[in-house]
Amino acid sequence: MYKYTEFDRQFVRARAAQFRDQLERNLRGELGDDEFRPLRLQNGWYIQRHAPMARIAVPYGELSSRQLRQLARIAREYDRDYAHFTTRQNCQYNWIPLHQSAEVMELLAEVDMHGIQTSGNCIRNITTDALAGIAPDEVVDPRPYAEVLRQWSTLHPEFAFLPRKFKIAITGAAEDRAAIQWHDIGLQLVKNEAGEVGFKVFVGGGMGRTPVVAAEINAFVPWQQILVYIEAIVRVYNRYGRRDNLYKARIKILVKAEGQKFFDAVNEEFRKILEVDAEGAAHLIPLRELERVSAHFTLPQGVRPAAGGFQPGRYGDQQQAFARWLERNVHAHKVSGYRAVTLSLKRVGQAPGDTTSAQMEAAATMADRYSLGELRVTHDQNLLLPWVREADLYAVWHAAKDAGFAVPNIGLLTDMIACPGGDFCALANARSLPIAAAITERFQDLDELWDIGDIDLHMSGCINSCGHHHSGHIGILGVDKDGSEWYQITLGGSDGSALSGKTQAGKVIGPSFAADEVPDVIEAIIDTYRAQRTEGERFIDTVRRLGIAPFKTAADAVRSATAVRGEAVPA
Amino acid sequence: MKFIDSQNDRWQQVQGEDGPQSHPTPAPHRLLTLEQWHAVRAEWPQGVAVGVMLPNDAEVEDLAEDLPRLALVALKFPKWVDGRAYSQARLLRTRYGYKGEIRATGEVLVDMLPLLQRTGFDAVQLRGDQKVESARRALDFFGGHYQGDTVHPQPLFARHESQPYVRS
Repeated sequence: MYKYTEFDRQFVRARAAQFRDQLERNLRGELGDDEFRPLRLQNGWYIQRHAPMARIAVPYGELSSRQLRQLARIAREYDRDYAHFTTRQNCQYNWIPLHQSAEVMELLAEVDMHGIQTSGNCIRNITTDALAGIAPDEVVDPRPYAEVLRQWSTLHPEFAFLPRKFKIAITGAAEDRAAIQWHDIGLQLVKNEAGEVGFKVFVGGGMGRTPVVAAEINAFVPWQQILVYIEAIVRVYNRYGRRDNLYKARIKILVKAEGQKFFDAVNEEFRKILEVDAEGAAHLIPLRELERVSAHFTLPQGVRPAAGGFQPGRYGDQQQAFARWLERNVHAHKVSGYRAVTLSLKRVGQAPGDTTSAQMEAAATMADRYSLGELRVTHDQNLLLPWVREADLYAVWHAAKDAGFAVPNIGLLTDMIACPGGDFCALANARSLPIAAAITERFQDLDELWDIGDIDLHMSGCINSCGHHHSGHIGILGVDKDGSEWYQITLGGSDGSALSGKTQAGKVIGPSFAADEVPDVIEAIIDTYRAQRTEGERFIDTVRRLGIAPFKTAADAVRSATAVRGEAVPA
Repeated sequence: MKFIDSQNDRWQQVQGEDGPQSHPTPAPHRLLTLEQWHAVRAEWPQGVAVGVMLPNDAEVEDLAEDLPRLALVALKFPKWVDGRAYSQARLLRTRYGYKGEIRATGEVLVDMLPLLQRTGFDAVQLRGDQKVESARRALDFFGGHYQGDTVHPQPLFARHESQPYVRS
């Protein structure tokens, strides 16, 4: 994990002091609310339905146990004793009063954390895959590059007021587990024939009203040049992105509108920075810097590769339960004798991605005891322990059970992604949490979950798509019709992972459904899959093979409130 | 950073009865629109200080040739959250080597100062209700930054020269 230098520490403290000054001027009436808004957003403070939402940055998802304990303390002392982990690997609070925000920023600064650029029209948290640095299929560890990028993008003075938000994701493995083609810039670390490291660069992906898959703009940018290349992209966007219409302001719109002209403009800008600009070469990354940062991401002290295969052991009547957990929640590791363990935050009684402060403390203790003090926040709103010895797995399982993290559902139907939705978010059209709860409760039976197998269910409370419904094998989208809550179902989306195939948005299966119909619809869709699948065929493959028609028929058959004698209810 | 007091500004726009004069006569410290400049650029005498107001959706490139003749380029923030002028300023300094005054005009608020300073602005015309003292204070929060800028072109990692690696 990256360890802050004195410079990093002073920087975050300076930012906290700047924010305190802005907050106090706002509370005093010297800085109007409208003008304070972009400033507080760029520190993560978002006024929401009930209270300000605070979004805390967890850079590329890496968290220390010490940091997690501080997050727990903040939840206990300033919030309602819980926090939420997001699809961009960040941590959110929902109830901290704005007048305490400066204090909270100072507490975060104590553990090298902040909310810098987690909101606002700027470059946001750079995300990656939670197995970065430990995945068996890793080509290049993305974390050092993510850290270099994080620093470069932090308080970049030219790019603080872009047309709209800007999200970058990076992957370094053979499989893309970071959904990079759904981002404004997607970066894939590759090696060329000479074994040199570079980036395949994608640009212009995004969800929302107009889901677009990012296009490849450059097959190979040498790693030394990546900051300059990104500078070129963001400058072209800053200059030419639309500012007349908030819904047409993302870079994906510019890329779609300009096509090759956009690519040419970026490549020309890139060339000019290096060939024309005074000190244009200043942001070529020196090897020395890559080495300095990479030194933080070597094997942690205490990792000792073990020879010999893992024997799960004999645990009597606990055997099957332990085996299920091993199969779903424990993952292969680059280092012999080690595993990664997902702590599932998807269980009955809690919203997906939520943890109480007690659970956060328990996770921190587990990290200290079994994972060299490190954790990750995953893109699907779970936590992960990256350095677990095989010999400790049984003990970890018990600790996970005690803390409520051991539901063996990772990758299964109830490991869903869901945004906080209308219960919390002023932007939402509909609530997502009651739907998530209903589905989680309906599908508790482990045998059934096993039988359904690998499946991505993603739910968003509105078209802003924070729940990534477009990339779900089943997507649920809250829509507003006549002031009440309706849900559109999509099928066949993909986040670009090996299971899901080529990145694509799901297709709507028909007019929207009422809230109480949704669990029945999910069940009907699942039943259709089970009835029609071939031997060993996964849900997403059945959908691709059959198309949506049989699923649509099954879903329509369970309409009650929305079954208007053959008339379609408008979506 | 220079703070322009509108009452005491030696730079003056050249207005006619209804809008900018189409063909301003050369005189020192005239701040011209882009159209005015195009009308008179051929005849404007060397040595008579002239400035141009560049809209934030205009191409800096189009003014590149004339920059050595311009004592002032005024850039605009029609809304303070419209950040196009930051790129314009940066290009003026680093791509075109512009050495004259770059002034921020329009909706310019005190909290923009660090960004203005670091993208190449050296003069600011604050919105009427903004205090110069608060603007000056806004410049003092940070001792250093990660990325290079027009004031310190080398990023932090280039300034690490003499420092040892930090080991975890």
